[in-house]
Amino acid sequence: MQGRPSDLAHLQSTMHAFELACNSIQMHVNPAAAEATILSLGQSPRPYQACQFILENSLVANARFQAAAAIRDAAIREWGFLAADDRRSLISFCLRFVMQHACSPEGYVQAKVSSVAAQLMKRGWLDFTAAEKEEFFHQVKQAILGIHGVDVQFTGINFLESLVSEFSPSTSTVMGLPREFHEQCRSSLELDYLKTFYCWAQDAALSVTNRIIESDSAVPEVRVCTAALRLKLQILNWDFRDNTNAAGGVRSSINVFSAGVRHDNDSFKRSECILVKPGASWRDVLISSGHIGWLLSVYGALRQKFSCEGFWLDCPIAVSARKLIVQFCSLTGTIFPSDEGQTQEHHLLQLLSGIIPWIDPPDAISKAIENGKSESEMLDGCRALLSIATVTTPFVFDKLLKSIRPFGTVSLLSNLMCEVVRNLMANYTEEETWSWVARDILLDTWTALLVPVGAIGGNALLPPEGINAATSLFALIVEAELKAASASAFNDESDSDYLHASISAMDERLSSYALIARAAIDFTIPFLTRLFSERFARLHQVRGITDPTETLEELYSLLLITGHVLADEGEGETPSVPRAIQSYFVDSLEADKHPIVVLSGSILRFVEQSLDPEMRASVFSPRLMEAVIWFLARWSCTYVLPTETSNGNNCYSGHDDEHQLDSHHSSKDFLSFFGEYNQGKLMLNIIVRISMMTLISYPGEKYLQVLTCYQLLPALVRRKTICVHLVALDSWRDLANAFANERTLFSLNSAHQRSLAQTLVLSATGLRNLEASNQYVRNLMGQMTAYLVEICSKNDLKNVSQQPDVILSVSCLLERLRGAASASEPRTQKAIYEMGFAVLNSLLILLEVYKHEFSVVYLLLKFVADWVDGQIVYLEAPETAVVVNFCMHLLQLYSSHNIGKISLSSSSSLLSEANTEKYKDLRALLQLLRNLCSKDLVDFSLGEAADTNMSQVIYFGLHIVTPLISSDLLKYPKLCHDYFSLLSHMLEIYPEMVAQLNSEAFAHILRTLDFGIHHQDTEVVDMCLRALKALASYHYKETLAGKVGLGLHAAGCTDPDGKFQEGILSQFLHSLLQLLLFEDYSTDLVSAAADALLPLILCEQGLYQKLGNELIERQANPTLRSRLANALRSLTSSNQLSSTLDRMNYQRFRKNLHNFLIEVRGFLRTV
Amino acid sequence: MSDEEHHFEAKGDAGASKTYPQQAGTIRKNGYIVIKNRPCKVVEVSTSKTGKHGHAKCHFVGIDIFNGKKLEDIVPSSHNCDVPHVNRTDYQLIDISEDGFVSLLTENGSTKDDLRLPTDDNLLGQIKDGFAEGKDLVVSVMSAMGEEQICALKDIGPKN
Repeated sequence: MQGRPSDLAHLQSTMHAFELACNSIQMHVNPAAAEATILSLGQSPRPYQACQFILENSLVANARFQAAAAIRDAAIREWGFLAADDRRSLISFCLRFVMQHACSPEGYVQAKVSSVAAQLMKRGWLDFTAAEKEEFFHQVKQAILGIHGVDVQFTGINFLESLVSEFSPSTSTVMGLPREFHEQCRSSLELDYLKTFYCWAQDAALSVTNRIIESDSAVPEVRVCTAALRLKLQILNWDFRDNTNAAGGVRSSINVFSAGVRHDNDSFKRSECILVKPGASWRDVLISSGHIGWLLSVYGALRQKFSCEGFWLDCPIAVSARKLIVQFCSLTGTIFPSDEGQTQEHHLLQLLSGIIPWIDPPDAISKAIENGKSESEMLDGCRALLSIATVTTPFVFDKLLKSIRPFGTVSLLSNLMCEVVRNLMANYTEEETWSWVARDILLDTWTALLVPVGAIGGNALLPPEGINAATSLFALIVEAELKAASASAFNDESDSDYLHASISAMDERLSSYALIARAAIDFTIPFLTRLFSERFARLHQVRGITDPTETLEELYSLLLITGHVLADEGEGETPSVPRAIQSYFVDSLEADKHPIVVLSGSILRFVEQSLDPEMRASVFSPRLMEAVIWFLARWSCTYVLPTETSNGNNCYSGHDDEHQLDSHHSSKDFLSFFGEYNQGKLMLNIIVRISMMTLISYPGEKYLQVLTCYQLLPALVRRKTICVHLVALDSWRDLANAFANERTLFSLNSAHQRSLAQTLVLSATGLRNLEASNQYVRNLMGQMTAYLVEICSKNDLKNVSQQPDVILSVSCLLERLRGAASASEPRTQKAIYEMGFAVLNSLLILLEVYKHEFSVVYLLLKFVADWVDGQIVYLEAPETAVVVNFCMHLLQLYSSHNIGKISLSSSSSLLSEANTEKYKDLRALLQLLRNLCSKDLVDFSLGEAADTNMSQVIYFGLHIVTPLISSDLLKYPKLCHDYFSLLSHMLEIYPEMVAQLNSEAFAHILRTLDFGIHHQDTEVVDMCLRALKALASYHYKETLAGKVGLGLHAAGCTDPDGKFQEGILSQFLHSLLQLLLFEDYSTDLVSAAADALLPLILCEQGLYQKLGNELIERQANPTLRSRLANALRSLTSSNQLSSTLDRMNYQRFRKNLHNFLIEVRGFLRTV
Repeated sequence: MSDEEHHFEAKGDAGASKTYPQQAGTIRKNGYIVIKNRPCKVVEVSTSKTGKHGHAKCHFVGIDIFNGKKLEDIVPSSHNCDVPHVNRTDYQLIDISEDGFVSLLTENGSTKDDLRLPTDDNLLGQIKDGFAEGKDLVVSVMSAMGEEQICALKDIGPKN
């Protein structure tokens, strides 16, 4: 570092300028200029001497921080051509620096330099020899063992923390290298170093333990111990992969892209619980070394000190120790020998006995927290229980505690949770308190116990004592929920947001409750039945006398809870009866006495009363009806007309439950009660009547109707077995008739009418044969098409069409047609085609008269898009021609209305509304075009004629749509996406059509492509690159065959001003190279870019040579220049690259481009 | 909101009423509504309840289609609202006179000269510039509840 005086002066002045910039950025004086100064240091070639000088001499901490950052930026960029010595000396400089300044008060500078050392070490990881690494780590080890004092010890541990986080895929820094590099580093560190680091941390912690335990106040050693615990925690958090399964070898190459994703813990959403699986090689360090005992004793000793100065429940060392203890609870996998879980049980028991004082006795703990004690220890105790529950079976979980307490762990869990629920009940607030957090963690614990990973749907069995615990817990939970419900009944403040979210927000919690309830099913069902009947009775007593609101709200809660207990969420499938309920065996042999039947029956009888207008007015508030409809939707999916009983088949025979035989009889008996030959049809009839009543007798109750239209009715028509009975029911016929022929349902929100149309059309699958199904649809929709046609044939259409009532009717009809169209199925396709065909002309007329009425035009376009989507795959050539012609007309008409139109309004919000409308229209048009495109993907049978027809309409569509697409509109992400996917599809399938576009349209398409290439969304860029590849390779292949290809577009031309305009391929070669070499992009795009670049280079060989030469000439540094020249040469020549466009060649070029970019991007970007 | 505000307009001259009643629950965003006796475009609809177990009510935010002012209203979902009859007619622009009126060609060949140019400079510029460039312009005139205004402009190619 000792240079000549002039060097020194130069360094001094650089330092001053740098310090000045750092200071002024903090003072906000001319920040842009200051930032430029700071950045320029990192971007200048080889700034290391200056940076090191600043680090060692500057008194401004911020300047030292920025200098370290500059070293990092420059070194990562120039790494490829730094000499090996330089690389090493940079790392050792950083390491030496942190060690020497270990007692510096500016921790952030230290941390930065540490992390720079870690990053550089990783950058060179695969190049350094083992001996070189050893040399660095020797220093670090010395430091960590405490030879140079406590501060250096802390610094050493800190460095390892940076290093581990740098090597862990989820926290690593971007280095512009492929993911394989990061993956190799990760696996190398895991195999060769991680355990060593862990041992060092342990040694460091051990070396200071006594000092800490002996002293009564905070000593400097505490900091070291905390850091060591943190490092251990970090290492245990590592995503261990190489040790875990024996079948190695295959994975490493495949796993690269799923790095960081764990597949085994998806059942835990709220509380993080990650399984720790370090593998057998860690056994000696973690299990057999008495490590756990040490950790627990340290924390135990700390607990004694919480009254001392410098220690408290939330002091860093206590927090770290607790976290580590919790982490140890989720240790699992091959680290435990295969001794039937004995070692693991012993391990968990040891931990549990250390944790018990945090959570037991629950009442005392809760009281202490209410009196001001910190809740963090108790919450960590809950988390530990969650971890233990995750790695054990319910049986083992319960047994653990029995050896040291008279009760099992499940009882403790239940007591703890009861205490938490009591606390919640006592302090009912909307705010999140400790008991909220504790409740959520404990609920997850129950979930982890009762739904073991990998098991589907079933409940794990609890030991008898555990069932009792679950019983009392569930009773308390329901009590708490009901109390909360009645307390909030008049709570008007928790306004609409809460109402919207109430059902779905509680959903997760309720499904955990349901698991607990099902674990104690013998108690639960009669209990719920009793609660319901109490409330029904109370309602009848007070009806008309006092305000029933509290009871209504309680019923609301009960319906939600019961719905979750009785049935699972179907998520589009038909959920079977929960296993706990299937195996719910009672002595009674009569189906109608089965508790499930009794409970369901009493609820159904109650809700049936809503059909009576008087009862409805006094009891069935809209909110209660929402719960009723929700419950009916969920319940009927599982129970009404169950598939099994109607087939008489035993579909549960797979389970090897010991009660199988009995339970099966029981379940079959009570299920048959809801079946076809018993009460099933009757119940279905009631449900349909209630649905229809909510649509008619609750005018304007949108959320209620949403539930009816989008949950209950679609759930009914999902199963064909139900449809068969539905279409035969009087109530369903009434509904269909009201929909088809009466005006009443026009007062529904029009979107709901759409869904209703869809549901009704779908129910046609329940009819005997094709003809009957089609006739059903014709009867349903015939009136509506006729009405539309009639409106359109009126002479005074132009005048009446603008009347609000006519607009409303037309909108409703279009929505209904759209609903029917989106229910297209093979059985009803014919009738739906006819339905659309009948109104084609009318649609064009409507488009004309409503050209200013956005809301109608939009519905019309959406209907056509959906209709085409549902129909196009079924159509024969002549029908296709009709549809295609119609779409042409539609597009022409739409564009004649909209091209060149400007909305005038002085109101900015009205203008932005107009803009949004335009966007929505265009999106609908793009969807229509895309749906048309799908024809050529599924159907090759149409022959040449139809094919050109199709390409013509799409070509025409592009002509029409592109001028309407402005760069402002492309800012809407969905539109942008749709547009570019259509464009890339077009260019890939019909490049020859695109070549025929007129120059204006063509230029517009290219402008948007250019816009897209620079888009932030990688998917959009990818689509543009695909489009570009298609365009260039088309031109290349055509010209090779002696044809014109893109012809004039590619050739370039002289514009009216006499300037020569490059051909489009040259332009794109230019901009793509510019992007690849100098701009920021995701490395995922390199392959797609390679595919586009290869044909571009082949088309424009001359230009490519010229650009390459320019690049080389611009490079002043001779070494870099020759590197660049070599890299450019091997880009086009290595790997036997040829000038054909086949798969093999594309692959080779991808590889070449990857290598090329790694080689040269580092120095090119700074030039 | 008191009910006095929901009265019907007197029947218009052509026998067509200026507003129509429509159930509040069926009025959607992008539709029209009368608030405080002004025709508005609905830009936002939200629903809430009067008390937990009460009935739904709709909260409308509308923008006056003529003066751009924001207006709000709350109506029980099952009640009726007034919806204005909004008409739009296209005319070819023949002339712009000095005193700020436009001369428009109607479908049956006569002229309509009673419409003022917008006062907003920006809009005025868009019309005047286009006209001065000799483009063939079609203007859309929006009318509702006895008021009318130019609301859109469309260029149908250069004047020959």
